[in-house]
Amino acid sequence: MLAMVQKFFKYLFLLFLLFVIGYNSIYFKKLDEVNAASVSKKFDAKNYAAGYFQKLLPVLQQSVDINSLHGLLHSDPSKAFDTYSHGLGIGNIKYFLTQGKGKVISIEESSMLLMVNDSSNLNIRIATEFVYGNAIRDAGGIINLKDFTSTSDLNDVSAEINKKIRNEVLPTFLKQVKTGDMVAFAGAIELNRQHPDMKQMELVPVTINGIY
Amino acid sequence: MKKVMRTIKYLMLLLLLIAGGCKNDAKKDKPKKIAVIVSTLNNPWFVFLAETAVKEATGMGYEARIFDSQNNTAIETEHFENAIVSGFDAILFNPTDAEGSVSNVGKAKVAGIPVFCMDREVNKTGIATSQILSDSYSGCVTIAKYFVQANNKKGKYVELLGLVGDNNTWNRSKGFHSVVDNYPGLKMVAQQSADFDRNKALEVMESILTANPDIDAVFCGNDAMAMGAYQALVAAGKDANVKVFGFDGADDVVDAIKEGKIMATGMQFPEVMAQTAAKYADEYLKGKRDFPEKMPVAVEIVTKANVDNYLAYGKK
Repeated sequence: MLAMVQKFFKYLFLLFLLFVIGYNSIYFKKLDEVNAASVSKKFDAKNYAAGYFQKLLPVLQQSVDINSLHGLLHSDPSKAFDTYSHGLGIGNIKYFLTQGKGKVISIEESSMLLMVNDSSNLNIRIATEFVYGNAIRDAGGIINLKDFTSTSDLNDVSAEINKKIRNEVLPTFLKQVKTGDMVAFAGAIELNRQHPDMKQMELVPVTINGIY
Repeated sequence: MKKVMRTIKYLMLLLLLIAGGCKNDAKKDKPKKIAVIVSTLNNPWFVFLAETAVKEATGMGYEARIFDSQNNTAIETEHFENAIVSGFDAILFNPTDAEGSVSNVGKAKVAGIPVFCMDREVNKTGIATSQILSDSYSGCVTIAKYFVQANNKKGKYVELLGLVGDNNTWNRSKGFHSVVDNYPGLKMVAQQSADFDRNKALEVMESILTANPDIDAVFCGNDAMAMGAYQALVAAGKDANVKVFGFDGADDVVDAIKEGKIMATGMQFPEVMAQTAAKYADEYLKGKRDFPEKMPVAVEIVTKANVDNYLAYGKK
């Protein structure tokens, strides 16, 4: 009799144990709630890009003048790269933040050529269509790579920054500008440190306005 | 008698201590070991990556050994287990699969062995000490700009994708489409995987050309596929009319760009990735712990205009 009672309690205890383990192992959540939680954790590149512009503008105002940068790139390229260039990754591709003023010489399908003020022979090409890549994201040197665990988020930041330039900055300017106008610009230039091709140099504008 | 026994005991303990000390000294004298686990040695690009990593590690005084995963995660798992059991101190790793390789890196982390990914990433953060990766997305953004300009913003094109389980496949494709999709005049008539393989690309391209004989361009996720696609175009007599774009910077494609057969490629720098991974491993083993989770390595576009600046795989 005692053995039966002992057996009964043994099985009861085992059942209780199984219930406790089972109850704590399985739980139910609404799929909507799980999806909403994962969406809220997703990196908001658009918002980050908007914040980045606010941080970039004061840095842009302090950026090197295009004439000085051009002169230094010719006379001492290493010093120019060491002093003024930035890039988030490893490699030869580096970016410069620069500003200046110039007279519009020609307006082409995807770019325009400016003759930079205070310079006898410096022309600078401004990109007006192919605004893609990491020039504006990296040139400021204000993003810390260690803040990002995903390269996809970093790529999305560049995409959002460029979209803003293509959709907001350039259309307004292009509607008004004509050959002969004086223009004030500030933006980013990409150059290969090992093979800097100054003739192909193109500035991606962050701000660009006619001086009337 | 007790005294004698006690003396023997102490003597034995002393001997044990001396033996232990000798063993430690022997380990101290032996160089630390670095395992280079690579996805495949059946592709010269990865051979170069692995050999450079070994050369760098050996140059820093480590004993280094290559393990070939033969594009198989099961073999890769065996290599990781082997490296852990054999007492390797760090792993320089080129994964076979962004998802499938996660557990292997996790095992190494549990065993306290730092893993530095080279060129290919794993889809989990916080397990590899650092991942040194070609900036494939940005490289393909640059190629795409050139692609749009070279095709005058219009035409029909084909995209050959790499291994569907590899993040590089999608990073390259996404970078390319982030530009090209803004041009409605450019229509993608086919998008198929050829697994980064030249022979498969040849077969896939032959089949695509049967259904789409009037294409203007082909964008390929690597150079092996670009060469396979070009071979199919030559066989079909269409090589003069179709522009082929690749990615990697392989020697045959660099030559083909010089000869005007291929339009462009994205030059990757396996040497830089392998050197950086070995350098990070060395720094880790000397006590450094603060590494970026992902370290992008810039990709440079190679066209006929600048091809003279480049040798295969970014070698100088």
